Amino acid sequence: MFAEILIKFARKGIILSPEAYNIIKNSENPINLSSDIILKLKSGNYPKDIVPVDLKTLETIEGISLNIKSANKIMKQAPQDKQKTIEKKQTPQEKTEIKKPKTIEKKQTPQEDIKVKNPAYAIEHVVKIEDTAVSEDAISKYKRNLTESKVNFDKFKVLKDTSNKSYTSGEIGNLIEYFQNRYKKLSGILSKRPELRTWQKINEITDNQTDLNLIVMITEIRTTKNGHYLIEVEDETGSIPILVSKDNDELIRATKNLMKDEVIGIIAQKRQGNELAICQNIIDPGVPRMPRKEVDFATVFTSDIHIGSVTFLEEAFVKFTRWLNGDFGNEQQREMANNVKYMIVGGDIVDGIGVYPNQDKELAIKDITAQYDEAARLLGDIRSDIKIIITPGNHDASRVAEPQPAVPEKYAKSLYQLNNAEFLSNPSIVSLDGLEVLIYHGRGIDDMVMGSNDFSHERNDLVMKEFLNKRHLAPLYGERTPLASELEDHLVIDRVPDVLHTGHVHINTYKNYKGIHCINSGTFQTQTEFQKIYNIVPTPAEVPIIDVGGNYKQLKFID
Amino acid sequence: MDFEMDYFERLESETHKLYEIANEARSKGFDVELETEIPLAKDLAERVEGLVGPKGIAKRIKELEKDMSREEVAFEIAAEIASQESNETGTKLEAQRQAFADQGLRTALAILTEGVVAAPLEGISGVKIKSNADGTKYVAVYFAGPIRSAGGTAAALSVLLGDKIRVATGLDRFKPTDDEIERYVEEVELYESEVTNLQYSPTPEEVRFAARSIPVEVSGEPTDQIEVSHRDLPRVETNNIRGGALLAMVEGVIQKSKKILKIAHTLELDSWEFLAEYAKGIGSSKEEENSSESDFEESSQEIDDNIIDKEELFEHSKYAHDIIGGRPVLGYPSEKGGFRLRYGRSRNTGLATMGVHPATMELLEFLAVGTQLKIERPGKGNCVVPVDSIEGPTVKLKSGEVRRLDSIADAREVKNKVAEILFLGDMLVAFGEFLRNNQLMLGACWCEEWWIEAIRNSDKYKSFDLEEKEEFNLNSLETKKLTVEEAFKITEEFNVPLHPEYTYYYKDISIKDLVNLSEWLNTKRDYLENGYNNREDLELDLSYQKRILEVIGLCHRLVDGKVIIDKDHAYSLLKTIGEDYSKYLADDYYNMSVVDIINENIDFEIKDKAPCYIGTRVGRPEKSKERLMRPAPHVLFPIGNNGGNRRLISEAAKKKKIKVEFARRECINEECRLSSFQSICPHCGSPTVIGKAGQKDINLAHIFSKASNNIGVRKVDEVKGVIGLISEDKLPEPLEKGILRAKNGVFTFKEGTIRHDSTDLPLTHFIPSEIGVTVPKLLKMGYDKDCYGQDIVSEDQIIELKVQDIVVSDNCGEYLVGVANFVDDLLERYYGMERFYNVKDKYDLIGHLIAGLAPHTSAGVLGRIVGFTKALGCYAHPYFHSAKRRNCDSDEDSVLLLLDALINFSKSYLPSTRGGSMDAPLVLSTRIDPEEIDDESHNLDIFERFPLEFFERSQESLKPSDMLDLVDNVEMHLGTDRQYHDLMFSHHTSSIHAGPKVCLYKRLGSMKEKVEAQIHLAELIRAVDQRRVVEGVLSSHFLPDIMGNSRAFSKQKVRCPKCGTKYRRMPLTGKCKCGGDLILSVSKGSVVKYLEISQNLVNRYPVSHYLEQRLEIQEFGINSLFESDKSKQSSLDVFFGK
Repeated sequence: MFAEILIKFARKGIILSPEAYNIIKNSENPINLSSDIILKLKSGNYPKDIVPVDLKTLETIEGISLNIKSANKIMKQAPQDKQKTIEKKQTPQEKTEIKKPKTIEKKQTPQEDIKVKNPAYAIEHVVKIEDTAVSEDAISKYKRNLTESKVNFDKFKVLKDTSNKSYTSGEIGNLIEYFQNRYKKLSGILSKRPELRTWQKINEITDNQTDLNLIVMITEIRTTKNGHYLIEVEDETGSIPILVSKDNDELIRATKNLMKDEVIGIIAQKRQGNELAICQNIIDPGVPRMPRKEVDFATVFTSDIHIGSVTFLEEAFVKFTRWLNGDFGNEQQREMANNVKYMIVGGDIVDGIGVYPNQDKELAIKDITAQYDEAARLLGDIRSDIKIIITPGNHDASRVAEPQPAVPEKYAKSLYQLNNAEFLSNPSIVSLDGLEVLIYHGRGIDDMVMGSNDFSHERNDLVMKEFLNKRHLAPLYGERTPLASELEDHLVIDRVPDVLHTGHVHINTYKNYKGIHCINSGTFQTQTEFQKIYNIVPTPAEVPIIDVGGNYKQLKFID
Repeated sequence: MDFEMDYFERLESETHKLYEIANEARSKGFDVELETEIPLAKDLAERVEGLVGPKGIAKRIKELEKDMSREEVAFEIAAEIASQESNETGTKLEAQRQAFADQGLRTALAILTEGVVAAPLEGISGVKIKSNADGTKYVAVYFAGPIRSAGGTAAALSVLLGDKIRVATGLDRFKPTDDEIERYVEEVELYESEVTNLQYSPTPEEVRFAARSIPVEVSGEPTDQIEVSHRDLPRVETNNIRGGALLAMVEGVIQKSKKILKIAHTLELDSWEFLAEYAKGIGSSKEEENSSESDFEESSQEIDDNIIDKEELFEHSKYAHDIIGGRPVLGYPSEKGGFRLRYGRSRNTGLATMGVHPATMELLEFLAVGTQLKIERPGKGNCVVPVDSIEGPTVKLKSGEVRRLDSIADAREVKNKVAEILFLGDMLVAFGEFLRNNQLMLGACWCEEWWIEAIRNSDKYKSFDLEEKEEFNLNSLETKKLTVEEAFKITEEFNVPLHPEYTYYYKDISIKDLVNLSEWLNTKRDYLENGYNNREDLELDLSYQKRILEVIGLCHRLVDGKVIIDKDHAYSLLKTIGEDYSKYLADDYYNMSVVDIINENIDFEIKDKAPCYIGTRVGRPEKSKERLMRPAPHVLFPIGNNGGNRRLISEAAKKKKIKVEFARRECINEECRLSSFQSICPHCGSPTVIGKAGQKDINLAHIFSKASNNIGVRKVDEVKGVIGLISEDKLPEPLEKGILRAKNGVFTFKEGTIRHDSTDLPLTHFIPSEIGVTVPKLLKMGYDKDCYGQDIVSEDQIIELKVQDIVVSDNCGEYLVGVANFVDDLLERYYGMERFYNVKDKYDLIGHLIAGLAPHTSAGVLGRIVGFTKALGCYAHPYFHSAKRRNCDSDEDSVLLLLDALINFSKSYLPSTRGGSMDAPLVLSTRIDPEEIDDESHNLDIFERFPLEFFERSQESLKPSDMLDLVDNVEMHLGTDRQYHDLMFSHHTSSIHAGPKVCLYKRLGSMKEKVEAQIHLAELIRAVDQRRVVEGVLSSHFLPDIMGNSRAFSKQKVRCPKCGTKYRRMPLTGKCKCGGDLILSVSKGSVVKYLEISQNLVNRYPVSHYLEQRLEIQEFGINSLFESDKSKQSSLDVFFGK
């Protein structure tokens, strides 16, 4: 075996000093350590040709843990940390919904806008994890590779994963099928609404008919000179313009939230011989109220960790993983950690490469595989009886068009080697022992914010509510979110979840809408150059959790 | 002066002759109007009147011009027009006040932009008088996208004009609401993120401050489909981005705040004091001001300090960043071996055109006459032309030989044997280029003309009497090839530095190299006594020091392991390089230049042969081609989709009836009322008026055959029409014109004229034989003396070009022959008049008049064809290009045969859309007055030689304006007789079209070949880093293209190929409204077009891992989009035998 190691190094042009060799030989897992070292050397700032490696070099290679003595190096720093709690009493029953009609919240002046950025209600859930380090002997014993997981995951199910199920070949026919499928799925939902029981196709409208009852996809929304709205809608038989009168406040409010390409029900009146129909009612597909699900475990929601970026908050993230392992926080908090059975990473686990121009200048790790390696190192510290579900975001090594297949093993090999990780598509649906979670990275939020004055990145909880009402995660075609012309529209919410988990915008929000937890899991990245320009203030290192019993909390790992 | 008056009068009288012919043709009533629609304008005032009116304003402008500056005139006119008396009352009065304000602003802006640019027509969409919340009235100026063509200063001045009008008409200032102010802030950001970058990125505070302080409302029509979030503001008509307004505010008022403040002071407009704050900095505003100047100063300092941080230099060099596939980098910033800066102007350079030795062009193949280069300095870009009196490239051959190439023949001979291009040779840059760009002077290189001036200023030469001077013949010495002994003799006798031929690029080597070289030479120190005296060449044993010879550019051969240096150079080398420099290796000397070290040890002086090199990369290729719309029509006659893809009239005529939208003219005679296309009723002879446009059924076959019969032309199948008319009136052209155009193989442009486009190139002197003009023809055209004042007797004399004469490309000439024949046919067969041109070949066109027209302008400039060039460009006097408001860094303008334009141009054909009247000959300016053209041409150098002081002071990094006492340029002769003649040049060139005519980029078919050639060149050129080029092509061209297109693919529109309708999103019906099948607008092909070639590059060259992975990820994404997992699975199934 040791000859094997030496050859391994030699092939890569690395010469080991005797001391270095001894260190590696005596480590817990010499082969793994060797691979780690080789990888770091080859991707880092070390000479490209022959690399002599002695003890000193080994110590300077960042991110390599020489397991023998430094395994709990990080622990040692902890006791000096300040201890402070701002934990708030839990209100067991959420103030269900902040039922302020959106129209009142509408931005009147830019000043008001800023206030909304830190929604006061959210604070109530926020729990600052105490910087209490645990004494050496109390450090949890169930780290990965120490103990096999004994937790039972039989009740974990993947309900939707589109990875390896991309059936498009990019032809025009696929595009037709894609939108027809969207229409079919959503009209299926809408046709069950009592108001729309008598719905008809556009080409069935007769000249002398006055009452229209339609299920349609929106083609165009325009304002007329007189301030009315003109909505052009279509189904697979034809198209028709619908007028929303400016005098109908309620309808105008509803119209302002409409997105092109969403599917809605319309009840309208038409005068005989007149082509234009006047809208009477707009019907969203909507969601039913979901019953509260009591669970006997906790789930943490993360996303947008951006490992590899210079703005990744590694320290806070390590606090988080240590808390998960029970090595951090006060007793009550560690108890909470102990209950965690699932962890979801909803995209952008790494910062990726070449996502935007000159990204290399903001990267600490410029190699995508090395970024995932680093992710594997950080997540590998989490006790192995937490199942980690990883889906891609726009920064990950996947295709840009949604639905995005899971990050391929080719790049995230080391992450794939974690025996407790699952790789799924974006979006995907999982059942965590009966708690159904729809995981969606959240690009569709950009479209909604851009498309309507009533939405902002800060209040993305309102956007999630709208996703549910529209039963679609990215209805608007052709703007921010690239959509692949799959034969099935996987972004339709055909199955109402218990939890809708998004990320992408780096701003934590929470809303319980009709019993559905709408969660945006924020980020582990500080404000980026891009966000500075757009004045987006992120809420880093705050991790949402659904606790035993089904309560929402937000854990803060940063001062 | 008489001479010139003669010339202009001659041009004008010939122009009038053409107007008479055109008006006679028009008077037949077959066209839209009864007269030609291009008014003549002799000067700026007349152009302004012709372009924007109002009638009679030219006279008033001329009155004011007598004792006012151009700017003062403009502002005075604006005030006068806006505040004129009105007889109206009530709302009519208001409307008229507004109309006056509108007219005043347009007229004044036209004056400011020399009455050439389209901005006054297209860049201002209107001026309105609106109300503030407190009931006071204010002026709002509405800008449109084409304000860009006016430039930042003129755009800002339009805002000032609005203020002048406001004051003159007694209105209050604009009082914006907070929402309106924030709207500007948002719009600027949105514009930069969604549309394009502004030249200057203001901070939000700067925008806020401008929006609050500008006393008139800067508004505009929507230019982009992007909506702001500050919607539905009562006073802002659109929720979309107002691109024109942002240009006026940001690139105008804010960016040019200093200049505008100065102008506001001279014009005594007092609401603009706030502009002073911009200089101090507003809020947290970062000082990113006008980058070019400060950037430049920084980088030049680095050079002076002799500590060049290459990375930093690279960061500052914009040209080197965006590397495009197939457009090779020829030199990294200031890298040794790039182009050597040589000051001077040849007869075909200046106005952003620079000279390169034709041997360099031939060797690189990517440089043809007129090819654009992006350059490190001075300025950003130039156009390349051949100048053969400067130094050519030095190359190392595969045999180890190092040679300097002095001719195209040399270059051809060695082209395939080149192992490395050690030096690219000289780039001839006029002093005026530094002046124009206001960039610090760079050190002149040690060259023959400097050496000559050194002798001229030597005590010994000064002591010569006339006879001695004549005998010595200093001027002939400049081009004479001297032996090394002669060179040393002159150095000794006149006490001047050693001749440049025997001086090498010593500065480019290190002290260590110098030591090594000297050691190597020490092995043959006896050569001067023995070998040289026996006229033998120097032989050195091959050693690593050979590389040093290569780097200093000393030519040698390699034979049987011996490095052989010819005796003259060997002599010079051994005389220059001493025996021992080892003491200079000590730390004390590390900062000392090798040239200084050498000079310390010899009893004569050598000079630095190349104080600076200029980095470049190839930009846009040269062009000379007929202007074709797509698809190209012969006639503006609508046939809908009936003509098939090729829009053939004959095809459409096969249908009995077709329905198309157009308008007819109607006879005003109550009893006749006949509809026709003519301005005189063909039935009763009464005038007609334009009818209403609408969908009409026509029997095309009938009209077509009637037209054919009318002009007696049988069966022309290939006449192409248009789908529909895009003009306001929708009047079609007579079909007869189309038939005759097709017969002569020429095509029409959007407004009825026939165009030919070429890259602009400058020319001040020509040789008759090179442009194909004979002495008799020249005499006939009024040329009688050559540039040295001798009578013209031979076709080899150098003759100064008259300012409105042009040399068009051969293919332009040939196309114009077709146009001339078309015009003749038209005159004869359609109008029943005599043929006019009667040309058989292009040479018959010499002496005929044309109009030159630049795309962003609306005024043609009268010109006369004097000859032809093989180059793909149009050589004309710098004044001619400047009259079109152009310089020559690869702009291309069109040439119209004048009579064609006069007969066939009609405003009523112009597109009704914004920008429609740009690039149309709305007026013709007949006379070029250098004071009334773009002032760039005033920087043109016009002297024969630089004084010694120029070369010496150029080494001091001075501002060009501090050196004006040493040069002579057009500006110094404005308003005098000499503005039109005796504009000399300092460097001769024997041919204005030597070297390649078509650059390799255009000759190679696929991008793959182009990139191969680009990378091959990167490998050859010493001043280029091949790896960096490969990475550059990938990261700034191919990867963004692949990423952009795969994103676009998943957001794409669909299109109906049959009727052309576009859909933002695939309709649920899956079909077009017309029933046709829809197609993708972004194809798989466009997504993957650079994929294979990129993979190829990654596999073959050591590019960074980062780029390699980026490409891999894109590949994964693309496969996922275009390959169904089903087919992947099934093939796997087959593989595993499932």
